[in-house]
Amino acid sequence: MQTQTDFEKELARLDEQLSGLGPAALAEPLDTLKATEYVYRLYQRASLTGNMRQLEEAGAAIDGLLGRVPNPSDLYYLKASLDFKFHRLPEVKRSLADSPALRESPQGRTLAADLDFQEGRYREARAAYESLVREQGGWDDIARLAHLEFKMGDADAADRLYGEAEDELTAKQMRHYAWVELQRGVLDLKRGRREEARAHYERAGRAYSGYWMVEEHTAELLGAAGEYDAAAELYHKVLATAPRPEFMQALGELYDTAGDKGRAEEWYGRALAAYLESAGRGEVCYYHHLVDFYADVRRDGAEAVRWAEKDLGLRENFSTQSALAWALYRAGRFTEARAWIERALSSGARDSHLFSQAAAIYRRAGGNGEVEKFERMASEINPHRGGFHVHR
Amino acid sequence: MADHNDPNAVNSIFSDIDVSAADLYDLFGFPSDDKDGGEKVVIALTFASIPQAGVFDTDMLYRILISPDPRVVRPSQEDHSLKGLLRYFDAVKERYLGPSKAAEIRVTVDQSQRATVKFIGFPGGGFQTQIPLNQSHQVSSPDGHRIKAYLGGRDDAFFNDLTGFFRSINYAPQFYHVPHTMASARELEIPKTLLQLEGNHLFNRDPNDPEWGYHGKKRDLPPGPLTWSGDRFMKNENGKYVFVYDGRDCQAGININAIILEIPLAFLTKNPERDRIVNCWGESWVLKAADKVETIPDHPFWLENPLSLLDAFRLDDELKKYKLVDTDGQPFADAGLSEREDNRQLGANNFFLAPTFVKRLAHLGWGFGPSITAMGLQTTFDHDNSPVSVHRKYHTAVAAFPRAKKTLFQELRMPDDSWNPKGLDIPLRRSFEIFVPNVCAIDMDTTGTWPYGRRPEDQVATRFLSLFLDMEAEFNGRKYHIDLLADPELWAVAPVEPATPPNPLKNDKEFLKEFPYLAEPW
Repeated sequence: MQTQTDFEKELARLDEQLSGLGPAALAEPLDTLKATEYVYRLYQRASLTGNMRQLEEAGAAIDGLLGRVPNPSDLYYLKASLDFKFHRLPEVKRSLADSPALRESPQGRTLAADLDFQEGRYREARAAYESLVREQGGWDDIARLAHLEFKMGDADAADRLYGEAEDELTAKQMRHYAWVELQRGVLDLKRGRREEARAHYERAGRAYSGYWMVEEHTAELLGAAGEYDAAAELYHKVLATAPRPEFMQALGELYDTAGDKGRAEEWYGRALAAYLESAGRGEVCYYHHLVDFYADVRRDGAEAVRWAEKDLGLRENFSTQSALAWALYRAGRFTEARAWIERALSSGARDSHLFSQAAAIYRRAGGNGEVEKFERMASEINPHRGGFHVHR
Repeated sequence: MADHNDPNAVNSIFSDIDVSAADLYDLFGFPSDDKDGGEKVVIALTFASIPQAGVFDTDMLYRILISPDPRVVRPSQEDHSLKGLLRYFDAVKERYLGPSKAAEIRVTVDQSQRATVKFIGFPGGGFQTQIPLNQSHQVSSPDGHRIKAYLGGRDDAFFNDLTGFFRSINYAPQFYHVPHTMASARELEIPKTLLQLEGNHLFNRDPNDPEWGYHGKKRDLPPGPLTWSGDRFMKNENGKYVFVYDGRDCQAGININAIILEIPLAFLTKNPERDRIVNCWGESWVLKAADKVETIPDHPFWLENPLSLLDAFRLDDELKKYKLVDTDGQPFADAGLSEREDNRQLGANNFFLAPTFVKRLAHLGWGFGPSITAMGLQTTFDHDNSPVSVHRKYHTAVAAFPRAKKTLFQELRMPDDSWNPKGLDIPLRRSFEIFVPNVCAIDMDTTGTWPYGRRPEDQVATRFLSLFLDMEAEFNGRKYHIDLLADPELWAVAPVEPATPPNPLKNDKEFLKEFPYLAEPW
């Protein structure tokens, strides 16, 4: 008999909890505890499966409950966390404004720090994370600090902090441990250390078996190593559980890299349709992917700029600044591209992809010695850059 | 570069572990009545019966730490100043953190529910054995000592009106659904009290809903203000004050898991004649995630964090794989005196909390002191004759100390001489000696009744409240003592209803006369 994976077991347990509570948990007379648990489980299940549609449904259930419970700070926290997943930063701010209890809580302070990070206030974000780590010592705040270090280019510090976060995790939190292992693997992969990345991904898989997130990271690694068939097989498996457009695009790019233009186009088409459908519903979470798609897949500079400006309007950070720079580059607007990439670089971010884009922009826009400098810096970070990779 | 790499992506919003096998409940310790073959000490550590009574969580490691010492001889002239008190804590600290490291008994359980019990650091050397759960065993040490061991499910030996205690400290989570994001709305800023406060609608008993606060029955937290603005104790239709307790046993019918040992004193110390105090405390540790996957990553963090570095040198290889979660030495040391903060789970090493202990005792005194006075009893706490309980917190021990001084230094009189069967010159204990360090200090020349250890039949919840009674005062011609509040004669005349001791006088199940002493599980 085939034993259940950890992912399947957790999903089954959530389903059992949800069916035990039932939608009646939201009916009058309202039991606050049961109702809150019900929407939390909905949120948890959708997060676990990575299903954005289910997340939207969980969000609707949370919204429906907000006006009905006397102390909704936990619901505001859920709502803000969910809005973060969809990049709805004004909504996150509104939740913090509407719930003083949340705003003053450690969870609310973490959300505010995440907002600082997303809106390019890196110094403020760092100070807040460091303060939360000192006060609370929670693994998740330590991991946030690690992520910030990673983005600012200190991969060693990031890895050390991720190790520290792992040290806080117990045998009762194996999925969280697997997630941190994946981040450590990404750190290695971004530096061209494939074997080290593989070891982290394998450990993540042992810690929490059957997790699509582990498989998705492993698929990228296999693709980067030129093992295209194995990578494609894994992407198909991931898509069966989490049919998200960014994974469709990744599969398209994988086929593209492998020289299978027909299949690549098929998956590109599906990805684009899903991105546009999401945007058509008013969602903003795929703006960034649309920029990337139009800039690098379609090489349609004008469309890329259009989506990049929309994304930048939501949150200006080095990531959205460099995305606009790259879109302008594709559109042949090199002088503007240089101005935006310089804004992105002034953040202090250090990333081989960012530096590669900077070198390309300087090559067309002009810049004394900048091309060689940024190419060298990109190579120093990741000597294997340029192959198949996913934009995380 | 998308932005899904933050920990929210892993769905960590609220803890899913409500009750954990790491939750330690009680530590009992007393000299055994069985003197056959020499003196023995009984130590029982109880904890949550997760996954169920008689089944242990295989990710857990439990430790019972033991440090036998001579009884401290009290100097004839003592310095009863704050400086003197802090000097005392410093001196005791050396005993626990210095070279005389405690020995320990360590328990883990494998998937087949077989326990590995390790005896580490004892004078006769260490050894280990494996035993099945839920049976009494006799284990022989290499040097021939016979140790009785029982690991498994039992009836919860604690008996108290927990809801009454939480009502007395206005602890909202016992009565209300308090959101995770409202941690500041747990112990509300309302005076601690033994008598209901007039107009304290947040916590006063509801005659129409007598089960509120019991058996998990809770209400939604009202929008606020979560405070009280009255100026007197409540009186009922009979003109009596209303007690926050009603004496029921909230632990009735509840099972726990336990590690129970009966150990020869000669196994614990080479000098049983000298080392008459067996200090012990319990700890729960949970396996780290990294070790669950049997891969030990580098731990560079330890090299950057001095406290962790200390641990790295102190902990052995097995313990490094686990994370300390809970400690237990004295009843109420955490709940009553440390505000139940997780980062204060220090066990015997709670010395740096000494100033906190002074501040917290004064904070409780402003609540309980006026209640005791209103009941017509004498209190040690200096509350300026306040007619009602006061919510007051102190930022410094210097400010709190004068109020709490007598409470800290008074000797806690025992109800009779039965605790000291040999009639030895054993000084009565004082509250500062009991709670810092947070250990169960079993005096082998006594019966081991609290505070000279802790016997299962001790009503420690009621005895804890007696810290605030003035032991120089008299009731019915007798000096106050630590069981006065359990005396029905007191409640017959006290202007309080219900006229009952705060907590039940005995456990819901009879304790056993012999090992393993705690009653069978339900």
